[in-house]
Amino acid sequence: MSSKGNTSGADPSWGKRSDLEVLNRDIRRVDGPDKATGRAVYTHDVRLPNMLHAAVLMHPVPRADIRTMDISAAEALPGVVYVLRVKEDGKDVQYSGDDAVLAVVAAESPEAAMDGVRAIVVDAENKEPVVSTERAKEPDAPLVARRRRATSNITSRRARGEEDAVKAALEASAAMVEMEIEIPVQHHVCLEPHGHVVDPGGEGENATVYASTQAVSGMSGAFAGKGMLNRKASEIRALTPHMGGGFGAKFGPGLEGRLAAQIARATGRPVHLVLSRSNEFTMGGNRSGSKQSLKLGADKTGKFTAIHVVAERHGGFGGGAFPGAPYRYAVPSVFVDTMSVKTATDSSRAMRAPGHPQASFGMESVVDQIAYALKMDPVDVRKKNLTADTHHRQLDRVAQEIGWNDHPNRTAPGTPKNGRAVGIGFGVAGWSPGGRDCQCDVTVHPDGSVISATATQDLGTGARTYVAAIVAEELGLTVDQVTPRIGDSDLPPSVASGGSVTTGSSAPAIKDAAHKMREALEAKLEPVLQAPVGGYIWTGGRVHSEEDPTNSLAWTEVCALLRDPLQVSGRFQKSLYEGRIHGVQAAKVEVDTMTGRVKVLKMVAMQDQGLPLNRMALRSQINGGMIQALSYGLLERRVFDESDGYLLSDNLDLYKIAGAQEMPEMVAIIDDEDERDSVCGMAEAPIIPGQSAIANAIYNACGARLTRMPFTPDNVLEAIHGEV
Amino acid sequence: MADPQDPRPDKDAKVPALSRRSFLKGAGGVAAATGVLQGAVQATPQEGRAATLSGTVELELTINGQAKKVTCEPRTTLLSALRDRVEPALTGAKPVCDMGSCGACTVMVDGKPTYSCLTLAVQCKGKEVTTVEGFGTPENMSDVQEAFCAKDGMMCGFCTPGFVVATHACLDRNPDADLDEIKFELSGNLCRCGTYPHVFDAVQAAQAARKAGGQDR
Ligand code: FES
Ligand code: FES
Repeated sequence: MSSKGNTSGADPSWGKRSDLEVLNRDIRRVDGPDKATGRAVYTHDVRLPNMLHAAVLMHPVPRADIRTMDISAAEALPGVVYVLRVKEDGKDVQYSGDDAVLAVVAAESPEAAMDGVRAIVVDAENKEPVVSTERAKEPDAPLVARRRRATSNITSRRARGEEDAVKAALEASAAMVEMEIEIPVQHHVCLEPHGHVVDPGGEGENATVYASTQAVSGMSGAFAGKGMLNRKASEIRALTPHMGGGFGAKFGPGLEGRLAAQIARATGRPVHLVLSRSNEFTMGGNRSGSKQSLKLGADKTGKFTAIHVVAERHGGFGGGAFPGAPYRYAVPSVFVDTMSVKTATDSSRAMRAPGHPQASFGMESVVDQIAYALKMDPVDVRKKNLTADTHHRQLDRVAQEIGWNDHPNRTAPGTPKNGRAVGIGFGVAGWSPGGRDCQCDVTVHPDGSVISATATQDLGTGARTYVAAIVAEELGLTVDQVTPRIGDSDLPPSVASGGSVTTGSSAPAIKDAAHKMREALEAKLEPVLQAPVGGYIWTGGRVHSEEDPTNSLAWTEVCALLRDPLQVSGRFQKSLYEGRIHGVQAAKVEVDTMTGRVKVLKMVAMQDQGLPLNRMALRSQINGGMIQALSYGLLERRVFDESDGYLLSDNLDLYKIAGAQEMPEMVAIIDDEDERDSVCGMAEAPIIPGQSAIANAIYNACGARLTRMPFTPDNVLEAIHGEV
Repeated sequence: MADPQDPRPDKDAKVPALSRRSFLKGAGGVAAATGVLQGAVQATPQEGRAATLSGTVELELTINGQAKKVTCEPRTTLLSALRDRVEPALTGAKPVCDMGSCGACTVMVDGKPTYSCLTLAVQCKGKEVTTVEGFGTPENMSDVQEAFCAKDGMMCGFCTPGFVVATHACLDRNPDADLDEIKFELSGNLCRCGTYPHVFDAVQAAQAARKAGGQDR
């Protein structure tokens, strides 16, 4: 970094954008070559000597009494080494999910483990499944809620606001819209399923756990307990060299980690237990579904007056997530009544912006509808009710990019021509990414090598790359001169990657360590280059005194001054972080009103986050958010057979996610008017509003209001023609 | 044990000799397999233990230009053979759906992109199998691998080996593919992180490099 404004001796700062030589540019992922050549080793790929492969037997329906389970045939199969009984005879299965795990078979090969699973004989009495929320709400439905004294499957009900006042305000409004929203359960579909390889270690050796996790720092402790490896956390090393997606589903070891640990302990052998795709759909978590009744009022200028929301969270055995109302917009008079409706299905987990895409879809749908009800431009109505200037400038820019200003139907929906109609819709997002304590060590060796180490994990965000790049920037080096070390619980502790907290926590700690290293090196330079600490410029692999640029040393010469490796430790610095971000998205769609097929033609997203550390990885993240939202809006739906309780969508044929053919033209805009001298994570925000923008675009195209996700042809035709 | 920081399949490691492979046969096995049906089903195997058919096959496969001896069963998929039965293990091809829906396991068999999860190892006898590892190494990447890095055609990277192989196949088959054709060629591969736009950029960058006189590799 060459900035004079960022001299050392002062507190660390990210520095002027124009002075940056590494950050705020397109940086190639440092692990790209490993990933592109198949060299990168994920937990699923770990192969250890003497390793057992484990497979899981699950009861296929949600509720049952397990009378007996005979594992003797499985135990006798060649290649089968160990069968772990998870449900004892006489116990019940309470929901489809980890509670349905009956046994685990560990064998010499994956095929032998599956043979073992198939050879287990279960005698069970299945009970009414209670997989639909409609059934769960009926007074005579079996109770699935585990709460003491629960009398209903409706739990955690909470109302906020003066209902009578809100009703009166709605009635007095110039316009009022009412909508019933239905959103199915979505799955994370991490391409690498949940799983671990647990190596118990030999006599006197430490244990090693390879984990596909978003929280490598916590893993040693999580595997230490009695039901786990029953060892001290300090004797367990957790490693996450690479991981194949998390999206909020992969924090603790889960039941699968516990069972792998138990088998490793019992057999003394390393155990590879990674869930099958079907197991993953059944017990790997999900985004809760939602049902919302919304009423929104506005005055004749388009200013919102009041909102009334009754919302159900459909989180299966768990509570589900919903952030409340109004979502993102300012409304003076608010009544919200929220509740969980429990079913005997897998508990929802955190999923990229938990609850927010659901809330966005409800809110943006009524916001959009009220604009058309008032014959106003929906972009103008949004601006009237959004308080952040950032949202205003982003709406303008995104509207321009998607072609809104030349679009014919801006205050009323269009009509199809030859059965086809094109429309544009919008949605807004926001998030408060966290920043917490976190540590990083930077070491410089006399031979010139630099190591930047923190126990974070790279979920695909590019974290490994900025662990090196931030240090390179500070010391005037190139990214490849710094070796990043992450994904190891023995490294300085970092945070669990949830709530977009990783960058906001670890980047300041890395910057702090880099800054301290620069000062430590400058102290060594004083006798050589005759400038005080803070009087140097580091750039292009050299350092020179600020006063006299000819007085300089090359990086290797600087390092040669060291007799031993020099190590410094950095910590999270609040001054380097700010956790407040905004985004806007727009979608342009073509609706075939004869078949109900929706084709997204273009999506545009704009996003702020303070200093962009790596612009290329940032655009990847923004694209990824748009694509997951598109997939959520158009394709994704968990489906249970409601009479028997089988999960029908437990594979990638029947649970659809977006592929290459669904991809529209995509534009990811980094909001460069945001000049904050801070960093934070941003991955949640761009997944929030895309499906809302698509639904609004469908309405704008042809006047069909999609209130039920996903926007599959059947739902679209119903919105066009009414119930058929 | 190998360095735990480098949990690469260890080629020097001793893997236990695979015991006699076997698979279920006949009604007893099938009844056991479906013993967890709806209702109060009592499933009893007709014999005390699941009956078995056994058989191992010694195969020679040509993988990335090298002859490899593989001990497997008739039912062993090519994917499983690559990941669990060759030494050192080739784990670039990923098991994701195990049913031909996602393309993460894509390899070339005699120059054709093939889902290795749907292909039996025994079918590949006498054929050339090329995995993502066979196209290049981190030190010497193929033009496609290089383009994926340059354009950030990856995030978590779990789908990336499949996309790289599918892209090689696309460029072999249709070097001048336009964007729609590229989408069609890659429609057998899924990415959850949402790398598609940058993957398309990478394919086009590789196309452009080949046109500009870069070598086909
Ligand atoms: S694992 Fe073979 S196609 Fe998905
Ligand atoms: S990069 Fe993660 S699934 Fe494609």
